[in-house]
Amino acid sequence: MKDFLQKLALCVENGKINKSSPYPPNMRDQDGADELAKRALEEGVKPDEILENALIPAMAKVGNKFSRKEIYVPQMLMAAKAMSSAMVHLKPFFQSGETKRKGKFIIGTVSGDLHDIGKNLVAMMIEGGGWEVIDLGVDVGAEKFLKALDENPNAIIGLSALLTTTMENMKNIVTVIKEKYSSSKILVGGAPVTTEYCKKIGADFYSPDPQGAVNYLKQLAS
Amino acid sequence: MTGSTYQFDFKDLNISSSMIESVLGYKEGEDRELVTNLIEEILTDTHKVSIIKAEYRVYTDVRFDNETKSITINNVKFQIKKIVFGQIKKSDSVALFLCTAGAEIGQRSREAMRDRDLLKGYIYDVIGSEIVEAAADLMQADLERNMLKIGKKITNRYSPGYCGWDVAEQHNLFELLPENFCNVKLTSSALMDPVKSVSGIIGIGKNVNFNPYTCRMCNMKDCVYRRVRD
Repeated sequence: MKDFLQKLALCVENGKINKSSPYPPNMRDQDGADELAKRALEEGVKPDEILENALIPAMAKVGNKFSRKEIYVPQMLMAAKAMSSAMVHLKPFFQSGETKRKGKFIIGTVSGDLHDIGKNLVAMMIEGGGWEVIDLGVDVGAEKFLKALDENPNAIIGLSALLTTTMENMKNIVTVIKEKYSSSKILVGGAPVTTEYCKKIGADFYSPDPQGAVNYLKQLAS
Repeated sequence: MTGSTYQFDFKDLNISSSMIESVLGYKEGEDRELVTNLIEEILTDTHKVSIIKAEYRVYTDVRFDNETKSITINNVKFQIKKIVFGQIKKSDSVALFLCTAGAEIGQRSREAMRDRDLLKGYIYDVIGSEIVEAAADLMQADLERNMLKIGKKITNRYSPGYCGWDVAEQHNLFELLPENFCNVKLTSSALMDPVKSVSGIIGIGKNVNFNPYTCRMCNMKDCVYRRVRD
């Protein structure tokens, strides 16, 4: 079983989606994350084990490689796609409650900003870290974040901005959220954001890369 | 008021697969098999669906206020902030411009993202940005030629949302431009529709200069775009 999960983790790490996907060339014609996850379940591997011992460690490796600038955004996105193809088979177990996620994470690019690549990268890495992600999209104002929090009161919030000017909208959103949910945890990220800015606006955590956010959430869940 | 309108063909922009690979971060000699075919496929599709337009208008009624780092154009005031003000303050007139790659490419990027094909969505997004920037380069080059004919030079182009210039000032910019300029509309939160559009200002005058644009002007050290272009 260990060997099985290692193979699945390798597929995710390398972005091998399924048997027919040509990438990466050295894994051509081999089973991908899709087939391996399906077979693992058929052979009795528990969904929790697939998540904890294959998907989460594989995505952590991908995140660390990206942090060290060893891979580019495309490789990271392929890994995410491979992870998603495995997750499809786990979904029924999440829905039935047989497999529990670590928690809920609400993410959005703040109002006035349409940039979503960074937000999507963080969302998929956090999903790969075992969390349920509620993606509110781009140009999201305080009210929409509050509504999502009303529906998911214990969720952790992630705010993204690419522009120095739209970054200012983070402040208002953080203030509005903290007024109603003072104990809620808010992560901020994006090119112009810094640790100092995070502190200044009363947010709880800043990371310059997606893996930092995953590690912070891991701490919160433990 | 003078101005020009352009409709570019995709091939006018000279966007190649290798150019996109480089924007994605790939360096000379690195394996890029993952993206090459997908980029080619998306470039072929983009060629068919992009409606690439650009327009500029020149305004001569301009006043600069050094104290507030603002510019007033036809009685509409823009708080352009220190960096942009410093670059265009010697202008005797300015061009306001809009460029767009059309609605379809942004739509395809969003659809791919929604279908969880993040790489495809990302590449559509990157190509859309490259199209609109390449179109703006062509428009700007033509503006430069036109101004040289009357003994004037131009500055770099600057957009609301960058270099500290508040994105909300898009509303002022659109107030000055003719209705349906370039077929681009503005949402209440100052975002352009189509998404793959760029707007802004270019200074014109005898004493202005064009600086080779680098990301180093900006203070966003961790920006993903800086990382791949530097």
